[in-house]
Formats: sequence, C-alpha cells, structure tokens
Amino acid sequence: MSTLTSPTSSSTPSTSFPFPSIYSFPPFFTRQPNSQTWTSQLSLWSSLILAYCRYNRIWRIDLNTAIEWDLFNNRDINRSLKLETCREILDSMVKNGDAEWVSGSGSNPSKNTSAIIYWRRPEEWANIIADWIDSTGQKNAILTLYEIAEGDLSYSQDFRGIDPTILRKALDVLIRRGQAQIMKSADGEEAGVKFFGSQ
Amino acid sequence: MGNYSSRPNRKITKHDRAILDMKLQRDTLQQYQRRIQVILDREREIARQCLERGDKERALLALRKRKYKVQLLSKTDSQLETLERLTQSIEFALVEKDVLFGLQQGSQVLKEINREMSMDKVERLLDESADGIAYQNEVSQMLADSITNAEEAEIEEELEAMRREELVKTIPTAPETELPQAQPEAAEEEAEPEEEAEEPARQASKARNRAEPLLA
Repeated sequence: MSTLTSPTSSSTPSTSFPFPSIYSFPPFFTRQPNSQTWTSQLSLWSSLILAYCRYNRIWRIDLNTAIEWDLFNNRDINRSLKLETCREILDSMVKNGDAEWVSGSGSNPSKNTSAIIYWRRPEEWANIIADWIDSTGQKNAILTLYEIAEGDLSYSQDFRGIDPTILRKALDVLIRRGQAQIMKSADGEEAGVKFFGSQ
Repeated sequence: MGNYSSRPNRKITKHDRAILDMKLQRDTLQQYQRRIQVILDREREIARQCLERGDKERALLALRKRKYKVQLLSKTDSQLETLERLTQSIEFALVEKDVLFGLQQGSQVLKEINREMSMDKVERLLDESADGIAYQNEVSQMLADSITNAEEAEIEEELEAMRREELVKTIPTAPETELPQAQPEAAEEEAEPEEEAEEPARQASKARNRAEPLLA
C-alpha cells in the first residue's frame, strides 16, 4: 500500500516536545572527536530521536527534510546538526535495531536518506495489535491494512496511522506466531489480514 | 468459541475473500471521500480568494463545482452505508453459521448419549437393581430369623450378667477406710443380743422358780 503515507512524516512536527537539558548544550550538536565521548553522544542522540518521534508520532525520517526540524536545530543556542553527523547517528541506530534505512533508488548505502524509526519494535507493535484484536472482539475477523491504521475502531490506538512497513513487520511477527494470515486482494496486492485467536 | 480451535487448519475461505474485497471497496470509498473533502475545502478557499479579487464569475464557478462535489460526497456516503451493511450481514451470517454448527454438534452429541441410554437398557438396569434390593431384603430377613427365642434369652442373660458386674464394681468402693473403726461397735452390738438372749432365759428360769412354789 504505497498510497498510504502518514501525514506527520513530511510536515514539520510540532515544537511542544519537551527537550532534555542536553539539547541546550552546544557541543551536543558537534561530533565529538573522542571515541568514548562520541559513543555516549550517539546513545544520547538516538534516545532523543526515539523520544521525539514517539512524542510526535513520526514513523519515518527523511534526512533531507528532517535536518530542518527543531530536533536537529536549536535556535536558542544557534546550533544545528550536520547532515553527515545525523546520518552517522541514524546508521548507529540502524545497527542497534532502533531504525531501518528504507532502501531508496540507489544501492549505495551512503545515499540512504529515509529511515523508519522504531520507537516501538515490531514485536511490541505485534503485541499491541494482538491485544487490540482481543479486546475489540475481532478474532477471526478480516481487516484491511488500511483499516488497522486508519479505521474507526483503531481511532484512539497507539498504532493509529502506523507506517505500512512497520505494520507489515508487526503482522509478520503475528503470522510467525500463527495468529494472523495475510490476504491478497484481487490484484495480488497484500491488502488484508485475518486474525486468529492465540493458541 | 471452542469450535474455532478444533478447525483442522486456519484457512482463508472464499467468504473471507469476499469480506476482504468489500472492505477494500469501503477503504477506497473512504479515501475518495477524504480526497473530496480536501478539494471541497480548497474550492471554498478559491471562491473566497476570487471574491476578494472581485472575480464574481470565478467564485460562482468554484462554488458550483463545490456543490457538485458535495453531491458526490453524499452519494459515496450512501454507497458506503450499503457496503458496510452488506459486509455486516455477511459477517453476521457467518456467525450464525457457526452457531448452527455448534447446535448441530450439540444435538449430535445429545443423540449419541441418548442412544447409549436406550429404554431397554434402563428397564433392564431398573429390574436388576430391584432384584438386588429384593435379594438384600431376603438376606436380612434370614439373618433376623436365625436368632431363636432361646438365643434371645441367652442374650438377655448376658445383659443381666453385665449389669450385675457393673453393680459389683460400684458397691465396694464406698466403705474402704471406715470399716476398721466400725468393727468394735459391731462387736458390741453383736455381744448385746447374747445378753438379751440370756435374760429371757433367766426370766424364764425365774418364772419357773415363781411358778414352782405355786405348783408346790
């Protein structure tokens, strides 16, 4: 379902996010040469990005637009993160499983600009969706992927507007557990899922 | 819903596929509605901008276009409703089917159980238990008869003996310490009657003596 793009991913997110104190620390925005310092800087940045994305419900980061966000630009102290540093941070997050590069046009990994941010891992999403199916009595029901992300029943859920790629990965977890099965539409596209009760 | 788990394999049936198709249709309609809603808002904006510029014709055109889209929107609404109603009735029919399946299963089990408890069997069983009860009564009757009157008397005697034993056990306990003191008194008492016994003899002899002179 490539037609589904979450509305928050392209627009500039709101600025109400309560930034941690490290955000006002100017050296935080410069890549530190000391490898030990850099490692701790990396982990600070990745937890900040995860918290920011969770707060603003951002599923994907496109570096070219995200580099303009207040997340990477602290105008109060007139500091901003360089694109290369940002890419390095995301690389490290990908290594830790907190993010995943969306394979774009080129095979060259350095050209990756778009990444999925897992502020919840697919396994967590799988559990949340399974619980939701349970609590709303939708076992043995057929749901479209669009319905899970945008339907009336999922309105107040945490996975509202979930990125299709993340949803698909979460469903894969449920399929492996035997709790769901993907259904294809008439034109062969993966469009729906049937849920089963847990064994 | 126990019968779900007992299904041989979790397969996607053609019913499921039909439901999915309809839900996909619904999704498409919903997305279409969203798109129209965006266009509606945009056209109102256009009309306002045209009015500000004094272009009344353009504003009217935009509003007319908008009106047409509103009609489309209400049409899709009714289509959506139809679609959703159909989907729901199919889903409900599937539930009903499951209920029917459950009822069938239940009545089958009931039938099997009833077959196991056929009337003949029940009758035979009742006869057998009646025979058993009769036999039991006979046995107890026989046991009661076997105790004769003589034996009954013996039993009574035994009971009497036991009662006596009980009595014997209770009597001697009382005077154990007082007995030695009481003995001298008892001896005096014993002695007195002897004196008294002598007296009548004396009196008798006196009387004889008195009588002798009379006789003499």
